Amino acid sequence: MKLSKPKADLLQGTLDMLILKAVSLGALHGYGIIQRIRQMSDEMLDVEQGSLYPALYRIEQRGWVSSEWGQNETGRRAKFYTLTKAGRAHLEAEEASWDRLVLAVAKVRQAT
Amino acid sequence: MGAIRILSARLRGLLRREAVIGDIDEEMRCHLEMVVEANVEQGMPPAEARRAALRSFGNFDSVRQRAWEVRGGGMLETFFQDLRYGARVLARNPAFTAVAVLTLALGIGANTAIFSVVDQLLLRPLPYPGAERLVMLWEVTPDGTHQNTVSFANFLFWRRETRSFAGMAAFSDQRVNLTGLGEPEEVSLQLATAELFQVLGFKPILGRGFTPEEMLPDGPRVVVVGHGFWRRHLGGDPGAIGKVLQLNSRPYTVVGVLPEGFRWHIRKSSVASRPAEIWSPLALPTEGPATRGRFLSVVARLKPGVSLTGAAAEMKTMAARLENESQEFNKGFGDEVVPLREQLVGEVRPALLILLGAVGLVLLIACANVSNLLLARVAAREKEIALRTAVGARRLRVVRQLLTESLLLSLLGSLLGLIFAAWGLRALVAISPRELVTLQGVGLNLPVLAVTLAVSLATGVLFGLAPALESTRLNLNDSLKEGGKGTAGQGARNRRLRNALVVAEVALALVLLAGAGLLIKSFVRLQAVDPGFRADGVLTMVARLPGGKYKEDRQKIDFFRQATERIRAVPGVRDVGMVNFLPFYGGLGAATAYFVEGRPAPPPGHFTTADVRVSDAGYFRTLGIPLLRGRGFTDVELRESRHVLLINEAMARQGFPGENPIGKRVKVVMGPDSEPGEIIGIVGDVKFASLTEEAKPTVYEPPPDLTYSAMTFVIRTAGDPGEMAPTVRRVLREIDPDQPVSDVQTMERLLSDAVRRNRFNTLLLGLFAGLATLLAAVGIFGVMSSAVTLRTREIGLRVALGAQQGQVLGLILKQGLRLTLAGVVLGLAGALALTRLLAGLLFGVGSTDPATFAAIAALLTLVSAIACYLPARRAARVDPLIALRYE
Repeated sequence: MKLSKPKADLLQGTLDMLILKAVSLGALHGYGIIQRIRQMSDEMLDVEQGSLYPALYRIEQRGWVSSEWGQNETGRRAKFYTLTKAGRAHLEAEEASWDRLVLAVAKVRQAT
Repeated sequence: MGAIRILSARLRGLLRREAVIGDIDEEMRCHLEMVVEANVEQGMPPAEARRAALRSFGNFDSVRQRAWEVRGGGMLETFFQDLRYGARVLARNPAFTAVAVLTLALGIGANTAIFSVVDQLLLRPLPYPGAERLVMLWEVTPDGTHQNTVSFANFLFWRRETRSFAGMAAFSDQRVNLTGLGEPEEVSLQLATAELFQVLGFKPILGRGFTPEEMLPDGPRVVVVGHGFWRRHLGGDPGAIGKVLQLNSRPYTVVGVLPEGFRWHIRKSSVASRPAEIWSPLALPTEGPATRGRFLSVVARLKPGVSLTGAAAEMKTMAARLENESQEFNKGFGDEVVPLREQLVGEVRPALLILLGAVGLVLLIACANVSNLLLARVAAREKEIALRTAVGARRLRVVRQLLTESLLLSLLGSLLGLIFAAWGLRALVAISPRELVTLQGVGLNLPVLAVTLAVSLATGVLFGLAPALESTRLNLNDSLKEGGKGTAGQGARNRRLRNALVVAEVALALVLLAGAGLLIKSFVRLQAVDPGFRADGVLTMVARLPGGKYKEDRQKIDFFRQATERIRAVPGVRDVGMVNFLPFYGGLGAATAYFVEGRPAPPPGHFTTADVRVSDAGYFRTLGIPLLRGRGFTDVELRESRHVLLINEAMARQGFPGENPIGKRVKVVMGPDSEPGEIIGIVGDVKFASLTEEAKPTVYEPPPDLTYSAMTFVIRTAGDPGEMAPTVRRVLREIDPDQPVSDVQTMERLLSDAVRRNRFNTLLLGLFAGLATLLAAVGIFGVMSSAVTLRTREIGLRVALGAQQGQVLGLILKQGLRLTLAGVVLGLAGALALTRLLAGLLFGVGSTDPATFAAIAALLTLVSAIACYLPARRAARVDPLIALRYE
């Protein structure tokens, strides 16, 4: 059965970038990624689990992150994701193009 | 790259489905537990914390499902589901599946086989580095003969004066006797200038090519040997350099070995009719009459940046300068530049492309047929599809399911088709014309397989799309309510579509049949052409006497005379004769200018030329070439030079219009000391190279007047000529144990080889047309069968109201024939437009021959009447009681 698409699809590329950014500072598990994004955005962005995992798996298939089972700080089993070299390159490219977009949108908005 | 990586990751996921789902489950569970822990830390009671965590996940199962779709499922899993389902559907209808797969396999197999040939000959790079820059240079004679061999002097002039070429080499094929390495054997030798290997882009793997010193007349006798020769005769010995070979009883030192796969054979100009195995220097005389003989082939490599037209333009200026410089020799001669591929496959290209087109049409018919079969099943599957739609499957989803089934069919068809193609290719190579010798290495390689796969996917969509769309156009309510019987509008649409397909099939089949019919008629005409001699019961073989051993003409003549006498004495031999160039042997013959005594010499460029043949009296008797006037040769002329000539009718017409040639004296210029001879008789015309061309003016001289060291024996036998060969060989061995014979063949075989290309085209196009007709007949049969089923009630009613069996039969036949005639009319229009492509392949028949078209149309109508007859008979036997109770 096909399911309705996740809402974050509209921001697919953005979500990918946020995930990559989150793991760029060190290996994280899924829960950790959600927490990190929330922290970094001053609690403004809340990624749902339902959107996170499909995006995460897609990113992994593209080779931008690699995963490994390990233990979290409380000794619980968890799967950790690490940014790969290709992932870092992609993140940099994404950030650059995002900056350009933001700049462009800002210019358009300032033009009165 | 990325796409492949994702696909392979997903495929891995699919294959390890359980493990991957387990992994996802565990990750989710761990995540959930962490949320629970966090909630507890924030002070929630444990039960409340778990509930809140689960809530934050939303629908846990659907999250899991979505994750799985990314890691292994999704499109790919659906595809595999469809594939499994499709396989089950096909397995449940074995008869349908078998017919569809077989039909497709025939179409795809034929396409694959022909495409393999096209790929090998027309698409794949020639086996020379930078082959696209290689060209052949030829002269064009004043009478417009293209690709004429080149004279020494003109080659030297081109090589010296042109700027367009990075290198230019001349070569000429010969046969020589190899002795001293086991049995005496005849091998093909190519005399070549030193540049040949470099121009073609090859270097010897051992030793070297030719040095400038070796290129001088009377220079050292050396050979470069081919890889095959090196392995077979020299044991593949790396120390073979410096070994001495006895060629024509003269010693030649091996100086080089060429790499494996080096092959260089230009059939057009070769007298050896076999690729060369060894090469020796072609010494170029710079002056004297020897520079005049036109017998060289020239290959050149264009300089980078020089175009074909640029080179051709420069060569045109060469022709003009040469004409100026040596009037009497080059007057009226031109030259031409022919790309190497054009040279090698130019003659077979049109036929190959036509065959490729023909198999394409066969495949289209096969698709139409399978489409038809699928449409016939639409009604049967209506309920199943309606049910699937009712439980929520979207139209696109159902179309995809049905298309997957089609693809499965086409893939199965391709697999079987590949087996057919492999068989077909073997048969194809066996009957292929001699021009296609490069086909030896043809096979089902990767590019061919890729094309087959693409074709099969395309056909799958082509024949599957219409039925799939048609199936899903159903009206849900009606279908379910009526319990599987199509509504009136639906059935009519379906029928119209199927009728259209049948009309198209008939039309396509007619186009192919028309082409095949024309080729067959042309082939029959060709077979009926009188070659000018009787080929049946004649054995032929060549003895080539080595110059080192047979130095004097006298010795050669003695050998040949003794040979014919001894062969004649063999029991079972009726007659024997000999000739220097046997008709249809597959190579060139000698030709030269002749002058009639007592007439003023014609101006340069206006010489009359004739083919020159050396033969004895037995030659004419054995081949049954009639003496039309005067007398023939006798044994006296075989013993000593009497300077007598026989000419053929064509020469009598050309050289002596309105005169009696007998008694006239003619000088045939074969050398500086050619003496005039007296014409004593006129013999019948004999075709030499091809049945389709007119016999050339020909003059015959007996061996003492003009001595060749190679002669072909023609032997008329009482029994099977092939069986006499060993005896004749033994007899010749008695005269000279070191003397091999070669080219042992029956005259009939040579004649049949001459029409091999025509036979090849005719056979293949005939085969494809037959296949097309069969498929079209199956299509008509299918459509009429289901039409009868649909009309059962109506027919029952008619019978109940008093219709006779014959009337019912006529009713159905009429319906079928209406479709056929529509197809025939369309097909005739198509054939009229397309058969002109065949014009170049036809002989003695126009490309829109009305008789052929009429016969083909009648044949196809008859076939379709037979295909209609079976369903019609079933209709005629409808029992009105059963038919009317049918619903």
